[in-house]
Amino acid sequence: MASLSEEVLLVVKKVRQRKQDGTLYLMAERIAWGPEGKDRFTVSHLYSDIRCQKISPDGKAKVQLQLVLHTGESTTFHFANESTALKDREAAKELLQQLLPKFKKKANKELEEKNRMLQEDPVLFQLYKDLVVSQVISAEEFWANRLGGLNNAEPAPYTNKQEVGISGAFLADIRPQTDGCNGLRYNLTTDIIESIFRTYPAVKQKYSENVPHNLTEKEFWTRFFQSHYFHRDRINTGTQDIFSECAKQDEKGLKSLVNKGVKNPLVDLLSLEDKTLDEGYGIKQALPSTSNSNKTVKESSNAAIIKRFNHHSAMVLAAGARKNEVPADQASETSSTDGNSRDSDFFQPPVKKVKLQEAIEYEDLQRENRQKTVALNLKKSDRYAHGPVPLQSQKYTTSQDIINAVNCIRHEMANYKPNLTQVMSSTAASSAVAALSPGGVLMQGGAQQAINQMVPSDIQGELKHLYVAAGELLRHFWSCFPVNTSFLEEKVIKMKSNLERFQMTKLSPFKEKLQRQYLGTNLTGHLEEMLQTAYSKFHIWQTRRMMRKT
Amino acid sequence: MASEDEVNLLVIVVDVNPIWWGQQAQREPEFTLSKCLDAVMVMGNSHLALTRTNKLAVIASHCQDSHFLYPSKSLGGGDGAADDVSSTRDGKYELLAVANSTIAEEIRNVLSKAEVRGNSTDTLLAGSLAKALCYIHRVSKELEVGQEIKSRILVIKAAEDCALQYMNFMNVIFAAQKQNILIDACVLDSDSGLLQQACDITGGLYLKIPQKLALAQYLLWVFLPDSEQRSQLVLPPPAHVDYRAACFCHRNLIEIGYVCSVCLSIFCNFSPICTTCETAFKIQLPQMVKPKKKKLKMPA
Repeated sequence: MASLSEEVLLVVKKVRQRKQDGTLYLMAERIAWGPEGKDRFTVSHLYSDIRCQKISPDGKAKVQLQLVLHTGESTTFHFANESTALKDREAAKELLQQLLPKFKKKANKELEEKNRMLQEDPVLFQLYKDLVVSQVISAEEFWANRLGGLNNAEPAPYTNKQEVGISGAFLADIRPQTDGCNGLRYNLTTDIIESIFRTYPAVKQKYSENVPHNLTEKEFWTRFFQSHYFHRDRINTGTQDIFSECAKQDEKGLKSLVNKGVKNPLVDLLSLEDKTLDEGYGIKQALPSTSNSNKTVKESSNAAIIKRFNHHSAMVLAAGARKNEVPADQASETSSTDGNSRDSDFFQPPVKKVKLQEAIEYEDLQRENRQKTVALNLKKSDRYAHGPVPLQSQKYTTSQDIINAVNCIRHEMANYKPNLTQVMSSTAASSAVAALSPGGVLMQGGAQQAINQMVPSDIQGELKHLYVAAGELLRHFWSCFPVNTSFLEEKVIKMKSNLERFQMTKLSPFKEKLQRQYLGTNLTGHLEEMLQTAYSKFHIWQTRRMMRKT
Repeated sequence: MASEDEVNLLVIVVDVNPIWWGQQAQREPEFTLSKCLDAVMVMGNSHLALTRTNKLAVIASHCQDSHFLYPSKSLGGGDGAADDVSSTRDGKYELLAVANSTIAEEIRNVLSKAEVRGNSTDTLLAGSLAKALCYIHRVSKELEVGQEIKSRILVIKAAEDCALQYMNFMNVIFAAQKQNILIDACVLDSDSGLLQQACDITGGLYLKIPQKLALAQYLLWVFLPDSEQRSQLVLPPPAHVDYRAACFCHRNLIEIGYVCSVCLSIFCNFSPICTTCETAFKIQLPQMVKPKKKKLKMPA
């Protein structure tokens, strides 16, 4: 039964669960349901266990609410009260919508992180399977070194998202739908509301002033859409609208924006005006004067719409640039891009200078300003030309020898005639062939089969897994030395027993398997050597400890 | 198996250093330059006979210059060539006959004219390789549209390496590597580090022959197939190449040394001034801690 200290937020009667009538209770930390007439709760779920909620679509006869838990199970509640079923369901849904996000964050982030790491790294996953699932080491030890980063609350790089700007068409996306009889339905999502607040800070101001003291949210938005502020023809006729002030503020902002002009001195917006040469070239009629009386109604409404478009675009751009200041208070929201600043003028001259300089100077045409370098001064450059052939004492040939040799060869070649049928004897040829055949004099040291061609690939894969697992265990073992604390002592002893267990459960069966398959190569020798080194180190440490104690 | 349009060019560079060969004739009269050239001719004929589109070039590398034995300049016209050909009359494939006779004639000319001076007794191998590369380049430019060419150079080396040609040699090797030209080496007498490097870098085969008499057999077995076919055959494995650098001071081959960061010259010992570019190097010595002088307390 609910403890007395639990605060009940909502009670909904006549809620069926699994074809049983009962009552639904929404508490501060959990949601529970008890059958009719009974005191205890048969169904109770903490908000932190609930992953999400689902509701049945509006058209259906049954009004249902489904809760999906993290474990995958789901519980369905059927609101059976004839008159208020929909309202009840909506109330429950709203409350859950507010409560669930609070509890979601407390869900075990660590568990998610672990799962993510295991899924992303197949090697890690294999290691986990080899070591933890087969009980060689415990899960805590496995995760001990790997989750260090999580506790530092460092934002992982993948969560850095870019700021999303505002779509220029957000107002158009609202797209009213006719509600049947003369009414309009506006669908407002939180995104659109946020866009409106970011673009029109005046509206946000009004919202914070009026909601929830004077108006509910729904009323506020209804009034917003009804106001002329929103509609096309903004005819400001002093209505009792809360938004008329907004309209006035917008006008002021637009005016100051126009007065501020463009920062770039090289861009002359005024030259883009329509100019006529004469009547008939360009604009048909004379330039419209600025006095109100001359304007036709159509012209003035066009001008008003254009003004609104310009203002809207300016606000959207400004909101994008203002993103860092959004949480600040109202006073500081009048930034320079809003057209309401005083210090934009202050920065005018340097900006102008920079722009002018950019336009005049070209970087590649400037004189190169390289650092002064020192010239390379080689004294004995012929050293480079001499190859790595060490200076050996060459065979000394006397000039007489040279002359003799040259004469001999000259004499021989003077009567040279190719005798291609007597190039070599068959014995010489056959001995050459023997030397070149596999196993011959010249063929030593080559054509050794690579070991990876002789061992089947599944054995290779298993060997790799063994190496990874052994490496992990040995890393834990060797990191304990030098053994300073009692924690390290225990860990060393535990790791040694882990290593022995590993050798027994994984390495020896693998060896036997190799022997059964008649694979002659010694694949496990190195692993055993590593384990043996670890054992001897442990033995030495143990004897030293014994000696110290005695 | 190769397509009709693929031209395979083999350039054989023969080391005809007269001093070495003269001494060789005195050492081993059975195997002299004549026998060597016979073996080269057999190799060349075999190469030409393999495919109709195969081409051959033979360069003789001498102490003073390198000379094209085949194709020779006088091959274009002249009745002399025609006479030679008709005189064989043994039904030999004309191309082979012409090649053989040209080679024989040219080598006779080369060796009869050559004069050797005392100070230049080394074979100009780098120059011959450079000429071979130029020839290959020229032939590949003269191809018809659509023809591809694959070329390789076979070096038959007799005398020892010349250390002075190192720079040129390395340039030639890298140029060949860029052009995808294999350099094979068949060494008769003493191992040559430069040729080992050349073969390693360009992907060719290096072989030091134990028996000079069976030179033709080695040439046909190992060096006749081209690079595609070599991957299908079991050939002598590549030798380990000693790529160690030599220090600039003693010319010893060293594994670990000191390199000047300015001029990149290699030394085996540290010296505070680099002797090549005269840069001074400062090395921080460990700080000397001065012992504190203890004040003696004077008794009052």
